[in-house]
Amino acid sequence: MEIRQFAENALTIQMGEEIDEQINRKLVALRHHIEGMEIEGIDEIVLSYTSLIIYFDIFKTDAGALKEALEGIDEAALLEEEIKYRVIEIPVCYGGEYGPDLGNFGENGLSEQEVIDLHANREYLVYMLGFMPGFPYLGGLDEKLHKARLETPRVRIPAGSVGIGGRQTGMYPFESPGGWHLLGRTPVPLFDPGREETILYAAGDRIIYRPIDEAEYRRIEDDIAAGDYEIKYEMKGGQ
Amino acid sequence: MVLKVKNPGLYTTVQDLGRYGHQAEGFSPAGAMDYRAFMLANQLLGNDGNAPGLEMTFRGASFEVMQDTVIAAAGADMALSIDGTPFSIGVPIPVFKGSLIEFGAAENGSRTYLAVSGGIKVELVLDSASTHVRSGIGGYRGRTLEVGDVIGIGDAASAPRPYRISAIEEEEAVRVIPGQQYDRFNEEMREKLFGEGYTLTKDCDRMGYRLDGPELVAEGGHDVLSEPTQLGSIQVPKGGKPIVLLNDRQTAGGYARIGTVARVDIPKLVQKHPGDTVRFEEISVEEATALYREEMKKIRDGGYLEVNNDFRSHVRPTAGKLKRIMER
Repeated sequence: MEIRQFAENALTIQMGEEIDEQINRKLVALRHHIEGMEIEGIDEIVLSYTSLIIYFDIFKTDAGALKEALEGIDEAALLEEEIKYRVIEIPVCYGGEYGPDLGNFGENGLSEQEVIDLHANREYLVYMLGFMPGFPYLGGLDEKLHKARLETPRVRIPAGSVGIGGRQTGMYPFESPGGWHLLGRTPVPLFDPGREETILYAAGDRIIYRPIDEAEYRRIEDDIAAGDYEIKYEMKGGQ
Repeated sequence: MVLKVKNPGLYTTVQDLGRYGHQAEGFSPAGAMDYRAFMLANQLLGNDGNAPGLEMTFRGASFEVMQDTVIAAAGADMALSIDGTPFSIGVPIPVFKGSLIEFGAAENGSRTYLAVSGGIKVELVLDSASTHVRSGIGGYRGRTLEVGDVIGIGDAASAPRPYRISAIEEEEAVRVIPGQQYDRFNEEMREKLFGEGYTLTKDCDRMGYRLDGPELVAEGGHDVLSEPTQLGSIQVPKGGKPIVLLNDRQTAGGYARIGTVARVDIPKLVQKHPGDTVRFEEISVEEATALYREEMKKIRDGGYLEVNNDFRSHVRPTAGKLKRIMER
């Protein structure tokens, strides 16, 4: 395992060069493993497509000691580890004012319903989060839904929007400008500072979009406002 | 309530030392750009080193004092005056109800920190008071200050200290640790990076500083898969003009990174103005770590403070009141 250092307080472990589910699995297992080691001085572990970054407190530990601890990890055994992950259900109202670009896929020879059928009810792997708080980089989008971004990006995309940009699908936890094709919107706040889990998912989890109609969208909104909406998720993998 | 904003200045936000521990969820750390000036302002007041304060940029703000307290400013000199009387920064200053604190344009630097005894009180988001304007979280309603905003303070801290910030002397060069894609830049490119220097463009904000100067060409392309970014990451997009990522950066980036600005030199960099030149010098990560440890120890141990014998820096409680009475 190659451990490199590009900043005073960070070590980088690189695995592979491409977007690959197995690499993600290995990185997630590695994160799990390092967390289990309870090493003094580690502040945070951040995953990306092909790397894992360990941020540490240089006043509690040093890079040398950390490297030594990490070099003892059996890389080959990582894939053997059965890692638990969550499958989080995100309700989405597709089309209409919530998904103004659903019709754009007509260019790809797909009806609106066909787009929904291809996009919803399948598991997307969360490779990493970034770009903005809670923005997931998801893998698993059907090739038929790959679509170059809008030529003119929107100035304002509402929070909760679910869309497609290039080969990726994802959702916007915050209002933002952006060039993605908007398919729909979720009433579930993807960022909620008052919630125990401010962000609902982490790298290694999976997301399923469940189609809802406008009436259910409103109902969920009301439930959330009243504080009695529970986010649906299922634990999978591991024991 | 302690301060009422009369003029918000150009870009004034509440900051502490940053929102750490949530980069995996995509939260930019934010936090005071010149961490040293921020910590020193708090130190003068006997505040906790992480007590929330205000960061003002290029042109400072003005405040009406709503209750007697003590303030301290550090960083760039922004022509501080209280009720029209000029005051120097870098010392604790008692201020009294009804007084007007005014900051002007930054003279030798670009950011000034205003600390208030007890620290500014705002609702914490993920344990931090830092404002991240792009996502609208933290600080005062997730945004820059506006006219009429009223700022509260935390519980009274210990007494201010009879010190002032001593002159900070440092090397001119900004040191750089070789970055993730350093090997994509050949010797010629490295010589350019560590050569005569780069100019800060007008696109320099809390997210990052775009620089202008010799173009840096990466062998094998400028795009990489999105990877976590670090404070001071120097990314080089196609076009070859480097961008230094700073406190409000996105947590993932997809451009080749030639280096990382050493933390010890971040205060120096973030006090520069558009148009200024920055000259880079290579440093090993080990050396950079040793220097940063030393620097933080010096800050925490009071190494930047000296006993203040200049009593003119203490405002007389009656001066402002008398002035206002005479104006009536």
